[in-house]
Parts: sequence; structure tokens; C-alpha cells
Amino acid sequence: MDLSGKSYKAFLERQEALKKQYSRKQAEKQHSKGKLTAIERISLLFDKNTFEEIDAFVTPANQPVEFGKVERTYGDGVIVGHGKINGRLVFAYAQDFTVMGGSLGFIHARKIAKIQEMALKMGSPIIGMMDSGGARIQEGVASLAGYASIFHNCISSSGIIPQIAVIMGPCAGGAVYSPALMDFTFMVNHTSYMFVTGPNVVKEVLNEDVTFDQLGGAEVHAQKSGVAQMIYDDEENTILALKKFLAYLPSNNVENSPVVADEKSTPDVNEKLRDIVPDDPNKPYDVKDVIHLVVDKNSFFETAELFAPSIVTGFARLKGKTIGVVANQPKVLAGVLDIDSSTKGARFIRFCDAFNIPILTFEDVPGFLPGVDQEHRGIIKNGAKLLFAYSEATVPRITIILRKAYGGAFIVMNSKSLGGDFSFAWPTAEIAVMGPDGAVAILYRRELAESKNPAEMKNELVKKYRDKIANPFIADELGYIDEVIDPAVTRKKIISAFAALSNKWVKVPARKHGNIPL
Amino acid sequence: MSDKLQIKKLHALSSENRKFSFTIPLKNKIRIGKRDYIVQLRADDKHGPYVLWKNRKYPVEIVRSRQNRYEILFNDISYTFTVETPFSLQRMKVLNAQRGKTEQESVRAPMPGKIIDVLVREGSPVLRGEPVVILEAMKMQNEIQSPVNGIIKSVSAKANTNVMKDDILVEIKVD
Amino acid sequence: MKIKKILIANRGEITIRIMKTARLMKINTVVIRTAVEPNAMYLSFADEIYDNTADDSEIPVFLNIEKLISIALKTKADAIHPGYGFLAENAYFAQKCLENKIIFIGPSPDALYKMGNKTIARKLALNNGIPMALGSEGNISNEEEAVDIASKIGYPVIIKAASGGGGRGMRIVRKSEEMEKFFMIASKEAEKAFNDPSVFIEKYIENPKHIEFQILGDTTGNVIHLGERECSIQRKHQKLLEEAPSCALDARLRKKMGNMAVRIAKAVDYYSAGTVEFLLDSDRNFYFMEMNTRIQVEHPVTEIVTGIDLIEQQIRIANGEALKFRQEDIKLKGWAIECRINAEDVQAGFAPDPGKIEKLSLPSDPYVRIDTGIRAGSAIVSSYDSMIAKLIISGKDRKEAIKNCKMALDKVWIKGTKTTLPFFRMLVRNEKFQNGDFTTSFIEKDLDKYYFNSEYEEMLAAWLATKLFVEENLEENSIAVDFENVKELSPWLLNKRINQF
Repeated sequence: MDLSGKSYKAFLERQEALKKQYSRKQAEKQHSKGKLTAIERISLLFDKNTFEEIDAFVTPANQPVEFGKVERTYGDGVIVGHGKINGRLVFAYAQDFTVMGGSLGFIHARKIAKIQEMALKMGSPIIGMMDSGGARIQEGVASLAGYASIFHNCISSSGIIPQIAVIMGPCAGGAVYSPALMDFTFMVNHTSYMFVTGPNVVKEVLNEDVTFDQLGGAEVHAQKSGVAQMIYDDEENTILALKKFLAYLPSNNVENSPVVADEKSTPDVNEKLRDIVPDDPNKPYDVKDVIHLVVDKNSFFETAELFAPSIVTGFARLKGKTIGVVANQPKVLAGVLDIDSSTKGARFIRFCDAFNIPILTFEDVPGFLPGVDQEHRGIIKNGAKLLFAYSEATVPRITIILRKAYGGAFIVMNSKSLGGDFSFAWPTAEIAVMGPDGAVAILYRRELAESKNPAEMKNELVKKYRDKIANPFIADELGYIDEVIDPAVTRKKIISAFAALSNKWVKVPARKHGNIPL
Repeated sequence: MSDKLQIKKLHALSSENRKFSFTIPLKNKIRIGKRDYIVQLRADDKHGPYVLWKNRKYPVEIVRSRQNRYEILFNDISYTFTVETPFSLQRMKVLNAQRGKTEQESVRAPMPGKIIDVLVREGSPVLRGEPVVILEAMKMQNEIQSPVNGIIKSVSAKANTNVMKDDILVEIKVD
Repeated sequence: MKIKKILIANRGEITIRIMKTARLMKINTVVIRTAVEPNAMYLSFADEIYDNTADDSEIPVFLNIEKLISIALKTKADAIHPGYGFLAENAYFAQKCLENKIIFIGPSPDALYKMGNKTIARKLALNNGIPMALGSEGNISNEEEAVDIASKIGYPVIIKAASGGGGRGMRIVRKSEEMEKFFMIASKEAEKAFNDPSVFIEKYIENPKHIEFQILGDTTGNVIHLGERECSIQRKHQKLLEEAPSCALDARLRKKMGNMAVRIAKAVDYYSAGTVEFLLDSDRNFYFMEMNTRIQVEHPVTEIVTGIDLIEQQIRIANGEALKFRQEDIKLKGWAIECRINAEDVQAGFAPDPGKIEKLSLPSDPYVRIDTGIRAGSAIVSSYDSMIAKLIISGKDRKEAIKNCKMALDKVWIKGTKTTLPFFRMLVRNEKFQNGDFTTSFIEKDLDKYYFNSEYEEMLAAWLATKLFVEENLEENSIAVDFENVKELSPWLLNKRINQF
């Protein structure tokens, strides 16, 4: 081919035009807000020189416009393509706020749909980086249909390939359903927000004054709504964390997760584990101290840290292999289960089950949170979600009972009767229908009412109850747990238990899907 | 990856906003005045991990780390740093300028109970997630945590007093 | 020697200290094992252990007089050494020992009683011409009396609780208008802390030095002093660092104050070891404060500069022996500094930091003496105290002692809790401290930072944080993912997964 020829010249001119579109000036507009451009985000995310863009030159110029004007631009405000992240094929799309405000028009949506379909065909994870002003009003209903096709694809891929949303700017109105439908959502603090209805409409309709951040900022979604599971203070760290996070996940629902070797050679036996649970049963401790000593060193990646903190969820590794961890957190609300913690746990467990990730549960739960608020808002059906999720999961499931395991909560937290594969208990475990105070109050009600010194009698009975019933030995002797273990060897026990379960297969019932309470 | 965004420098920001800058790739050398001094991270059985500097061993421990925030125990003093890229530093400036007056956050009792212990005092810095008050409820001691990074502005909670749901325990000036 | 076996009614470092001397004197020792610390270090040094771990009563055994007496009788101990704290200054305990024919290694019940009651102690001082801050000579019954007496003494004055110390029931009043209010506050606080709202008033001496004299007395009436200790480095009335001698005293002042200390001790026929506390103001006037009728935490610094083993002296005196030295024999040589290394977080205002000591590495240079009850694996129990170790450093003079201190502090490695080490590292480098220019308000007023770190240390920590970030995020294989393993799926599983639908 003649490099000075007409066709090659045209080719080069087009490349120049594209470069001009993504000019320094445009980039600076984003930078001045503390944000990166879509290209910069993509290049941070993918391994060097591995990203291949698709449909870089599509333009909305030929789309029917119902109202207003649409400029001629390349790409229609979104960059889509594939590349390698830590050496593995991943598909991604990044909305470009500098091009028509990243608004979603027909072509924009079609590009995203295309990449979603590709990811599904290749069995590779897909990442969506949202930074968009919303639907392109000029294109009218066509842009709505665009959203719908994206949502539909999310749902078609749900549970087949991991889908992760990263909110890096506005994501409002209908657009928020895409991240909601995906598996995990990352958000950047202060420069991103998500809400169905914005502050302006809230002010108009309800006369409430609220800022973007207060209504739908990262902290709101991380702490209150639970819509976002991971938030960071800046974009670079969000993307770096996302890369770390991806390394825990398999590419699809048939393959195993990648392995990251335990380089720090975590010791299999650790005496520090004996010192974590205090002797006083009313004194809290941080269950993450236990988790950190049991899993591969530095391998615990917590999800939804700020939401429903009375339960801890996250991924970790055991001898390099990914596991999902669910743990009651005694230092928050005594580790009770409530509506939020039940849904948080349930969603996490179902993700692990969908993607063949074994689940490790640490249990220290005194029961469900009592109160009119919880009952009226449906603790019954929300608690049932957690139960359903555990029971339905066919991945290997192991429970370690650290301390309290009372009543319904004991059943819910992956008990053997729910199909839990192995249940181990520490000597500090208290497995009972009810806690000592409640049990004594009921069983000895008459005696206490007639006693001259009820307080002293109660104390004595509670002590007796604790010694006799609230220990793991009865459950052990009856076969409801497998073994009472020395805390120091917990890691060793779990590793060998999971190894025994590595080929576990349970046939799922032949049905379209169950009817989990929603 | 670092040359993608041309990261030639990284800045470690202390909790008191002191900035320490290092060129990337990070060398095992620190320049003071006109001389370069060698610094190394090592570990041995007797001392655990330590930093070797000017022929002296300084015991270190990484107490916690979250993405880019590191809490380090260095020679028995705790330091908290966030490691920032030039861009994230610039972003901080932009956001601080926009947000203007720093806000305040109130920490309220999530349920009725008795205050067992107040862990902070006026002026103490706190990190998001750090416990500020121990509240006894449901027969258990609960840690009430700070929802933000900041400095304690005022403490209303008193040990051995009862509180109702939503009573203000502590007020924090947000970072 | 009458005393062949001693029951030590204490735990921690002082118990080990007592056992060290007892061993040299070929005396057997019994200690008590408690449920709170069943593996404590002090248990390893004893000849005999009485196991009290089954005891789950609220009162710790070291405060239970009946139990201690019964243990002594059961183990056939000739004597009880109470250490410091707990029942060391309890006259009733000493009396009970006497009644049960157990030798109490300490002063007489009478001396304990008299010196334990501040009002009586002050009266004795007054009657014996000991200089003291003028005070109310008796408890104040109401606000009017308080105002009246205060105006006679002259402001500023301090209200103090009659039955206890440690800063509780204590208020400084500088203006007569404030007297009523503070009187009420102080007596309420005293009632809450000591079950006794009685308070008295003294002249308040601004920014004094706290100087105390070590006393030794025998049962034949000899009383001598072993020089002074400088204890002005205090925080909220808790001593942190002590020295012997004090750079504020010359030989003349030492003689004067020492004589007064001996005089007040003689006034109660004092025997055994004791300490007389004075306040020294900026005009070199000294005022008697109180007498501590026990061996003190900071006794080692006196032992170093005098060469006398105080525990040995206590045992001999309790054995009925007369003191072998006279006042002229006591010579102070060299200098000693003691740093109390506690499990406290100086960055959080000295907040206690209980936990388990994982590693402990202490220097063993000739100028270093370590008195400790903690070893690797020991737990710092919040129900006792937060002391990890006493670091006692000697030198031929103060300058050398401080220099040795600096070196020794840098060699201490403690892993497991935050400690007060950074505070001492700062203190020995502080110019005012080095010049001896400090009073009891030094920590609160003259220090703007409570801990030491050179700017290099912060920079090195920053370098470390950066290095960790680079390793975790920016290097080529920050996350060394192995995808080969992914392909190693067992045929069983692969078959099932693919065909499940």
C-alpha cells in the first residue's frame, strides 16, 4: 500500500480527528473537578497495551432527533472494548463525560449492549464505569429503549459472568438500575452520586433541601442504602482496589477463581487465636481479628464494610484459593441479625454460590434484633432471605462457632441441618435454644417469683445454665457440630475441610428458580 | 502502570497534613541535604520487621492498611498516612476549595442503653470506623464508631449515664 | 535469723524484687497464684506457691486480711511482706499479723495509723517544729470555717481529702470568692472516693519540686535517712521518673531536710523503711507533706547511690536487728534515674493500653538495672496497674546518667502494647530537664509534645507507607495471579457444572 496514497491519508486524518476530540482541554475540564477522563480510567484499569477499543468511530449524527440538536462526535460518549487485567480477559465500558456529558443515546446504548453480549459469549467479566448526565433528551424514547436493552443484558448475564459497576460521576434517574442489577458497585467519594430522583425534583415536590452528596453520595450508599459496597476517596485508588478485587473472582460460573499464592506463608497454627474471645461473655471483640489470622495474610478484602456492620462479608484466600467469608461482628450491636445484615449476608452468599466460591462462616450471634421497627419492617421475611441463601447454596460451606449461637440465629447461620458441610466450635461456644438469662427467666419463672432473693437466685441459675447447657459439648455429642477445636488450629482445620470438599457436587432441583422472599 | 499516568512522584500525607514526597520508582535511599542515606526494610526472628537506617534498627509494625491508608507503628509511635498520587493530591485541593466550610457530624445512640466508656476527648482525631463510645445494650457492650474522619468537637456522653435512642453522644468536625 | 519463710502478699515486680533479696539471705518465699494471672512471671521465682485460683470472690486476695493471715498460717510463714499498695499501709492488717504472731515486715500498727491519718500527721509535724505549709489543723466542718481559715493562711490554698490522696477531693482555690464552691465540690468528691467527706486546707505552694527522703529505722530507736529522691516529673499526681539525688539540693539543704525527716519519723517511733515527702519552693523553703509508711516503687534509685539493699534492711529490722550504719556512714555516690515504663498510649494522653506483651527485649549494660514482673507472653491486666518495667540507669554524675538513659531507652524493644517509652525518649532530650529546671507542673505546662520522634522517624514511616503502596499497587506483579490453576478442574466437577442445566 502506498503510504502517501489517498486511502491511507483519509485513515490518518480520521485518527487525527479522534485525537482532537479527546483533547487536553476536554481532559482538563474533568481534571479541574478532580475527575479523570474515560480514557485515563481505562488505561489505569487495564494492563499496559492490552486494551482494544471497539466502535471508536460510531457517531450519533444519523440518529433521529425529536427535540433540540445533537453534535457530530465520534464514539457517542462511551468507550467500550476488551483487554487484560492482571493477565485475564475482561470487557469494559467507560462513559465519557467530556463528550455530550456522557449522555446515553441510542448508539451509546447499543455500544454498551454489544460489549455486554460479547462478554457473555466469551464467559469473561464485565466492568461498567458510569459517568453520565443521563438519558439524552434529544433522542427521546430511543434513549429509554437503550437503557432497557442494557438492563436486559445485565439480567441475562446475572450469575453467569461477574458484573461490576464503578460509579465515577453522576448516575441518575433510570441509569441507576444498571449498577443495581450488577453484582458489586464501587463508588468514588464526593465526585459521584446515584439517585432515582434528583435534589431539584425533591425540592419541587417535597420542598426538602438536600445536596447531591446528601441525597445519593458515596457515603450515603455505602452506609445507609447498601447500594454501594466499596467506596474510596479518589478515582485512582478506586480503580486500583477494583483490580485487586477482580483477582478474587472467576471469569464465569463454570471456571474456578484464579489463585494468588500465599507469599507470606501464613502459619497454619497460631496461638494468638486463643486470646481473641474475651472470658467475659458480655465483652465484645473484633471478629476481623479472627479472620485476619485464619485466612492467608493480608488476603481479606471486605465488602460493604460500612453497611450493616453487625455482619462482616468479604473475600479472602486460603492457600491461594478464593473463599467467601461471612461473620457476625460482636462489637457492633452485639452481632445481632437484623433486616440489613440479613440482606447483606444473603446477597453475598448467593453471589458466592453462583460463582462456585466456597463459603466460610464465623458465628457469634445472640439472636435477631428485637423491636417494633424490625418487626413492622419485616425482619421475618428478611431474616428468611439469609436462611434461604445458605440453604440453597451448593458450594462447600463451613461454619466456625466462636461464641454465642442461640435459637433461630443458630439455625440461620449455616447450621448443619441447613446443609452446612462442617461445623466446628471453639471451646468458648455457647449453643442453646436461648441465652442463659432468657432461658432461666422462663424455666424458673415460678421459683424466681416466690424467691426471697430473686436476683441472687437468678445469678446462680444463670451460672449453672452456662456451665451445663451453654457450651458446645452437648451439640458435639449429639452430632450437630463436627468437632470442638483448639482455636489455634482453626486455619489448619478449615484448609483440610475445604480440601475434602473440593469436589462437592449437589444436584439442584429441576425448577425454573426458587421463590426467595423478597 | 505508573507510567500510564506518568506517576513520577508519590506523596505520603500524615494525619496532621504533613507531606512527604518520594520519586518513583521508589529507591532505598533518602536524601537529606546533599547526602543520600540508605534505608531498608528487613525482618529477623528476634525483632520482627524493622527499618534499617544509619546503622540503627527501628522496630515497625503495620497496624492496619486499607487501600491507600496505612497505620504504621514506627519505633513505638503510631503514624497514619494516606499515599496520594499527584492527581489525587490535586483532587483534594479542588474538593476542599469547593466544599468550603467543613461540616460537622453528630454521632447518636443507635438504641437506648448505658454509656460504659467514652473513648475520646475534645480535640482527638478519629478515623471513620474508630470506636468513640462503648454503649451497653442488649446485655452486650457495643462499640459506637465514628462515621467520618475528623476531629472531636464536643463530647456529650458521660460514663455511667443512660441514653435514649438518637441522643447525641459526640460531635465531630469532619476532615 | 528468726525469719525463715516470708509470705509475699503482692504480685508483679515488687514481689520478684523481694524474692531476689530473700534468696540472697537464704530465706524461703511463698507467693499466691490468682485466677487473674495464673501464669505470672513472679510465680517462677518462688520457693512455694499457694494456689488461690479457685477463689472467685469479688475482693482480690491481696486486699483480704483474713485470707492472707490464714494463708500465712497454713504455709507456716514467719513473716509477711506486703510490698507497696494493697495492704502495705493498713494498720489493721499489721495489727492482725501481730496478734497471729506473724512478723509484719514494715512499721508498727501505731506508726501506720498515725501517719496514715493526714490530720494526725500534720499535728505531729507541727508539734515537732517540722516546717510545713500552714493549714487548718483538723478537718473543716463547713464553708464559713473554710473561708475564715483560708484568709488566715493566705491564698492560694488547697483543699485536700483527709482520708485519701491521688488528687481526689483536692481543689486549688486562689480567690476567696471561689472558696465556698470548691469546698462543696471537694467534700462531695472525697465522700465518693473514700467514703469520708472530711477535708482540710493547706497553703498551696505553686510549682514546687517534690523531694522525698528515704528513712530507715530500727526497733531500738535508731533512725537515719538515706538521702533524697527527686520526684517532680509527675502527671496527674502519678510519678513517671525519679532520680537520686536531686540537683536542687546542696549538702547543707540535704542535711537540714534529712534531719527534719528523721525527726518526724522519730516522733512516731518509726522503724522499717519509710519515705518523708516534702515540697521545695523556688526560694528553697521546704514544707512537710506526708510520710509514706512502706517501701516505695522508686526505692531502687536510692539503693544505687547508697549501695544499700533496702529490702534486706527491712527484713533485718523486722527480724529485730539493729541498724548497722549510722548517719555518718551514709554517703551518696553517683547518680541514678528510674523510668517507669507503663502500657500507656502517650499519643492518646497516656490512656491505658492493656494487652499481651508479645516480645520484650531489654538492655543488659552494666549501667542498667531492670525491675520487672513482665516477660514475653505476660498480659497487662487492667485491674492491677499498667507497669511493664522499671528501667533504672546509673552514671557517675547526672549528665552521664542522662546520657546512659538515652542509650538504654533506644535499646528497649517492647511489642504488644503502646508504651511510655517515647515519652522518656523525649524527656531525656529536653533542655529544661537536662538543666534540672523543672517542677511538678513540668509535664502539664512546659511540654508541648508528650513523645519523642525525630522528623526522620516520621519521614521513614512515610517512606515505609509509600513502599507498601507501591508494592501492593504499582509493581508489575503486585497481584501475582496464577491462571493456570483455573484450568485444573477435575473432570467430575467440570462435567457436572457444564451439564447441570
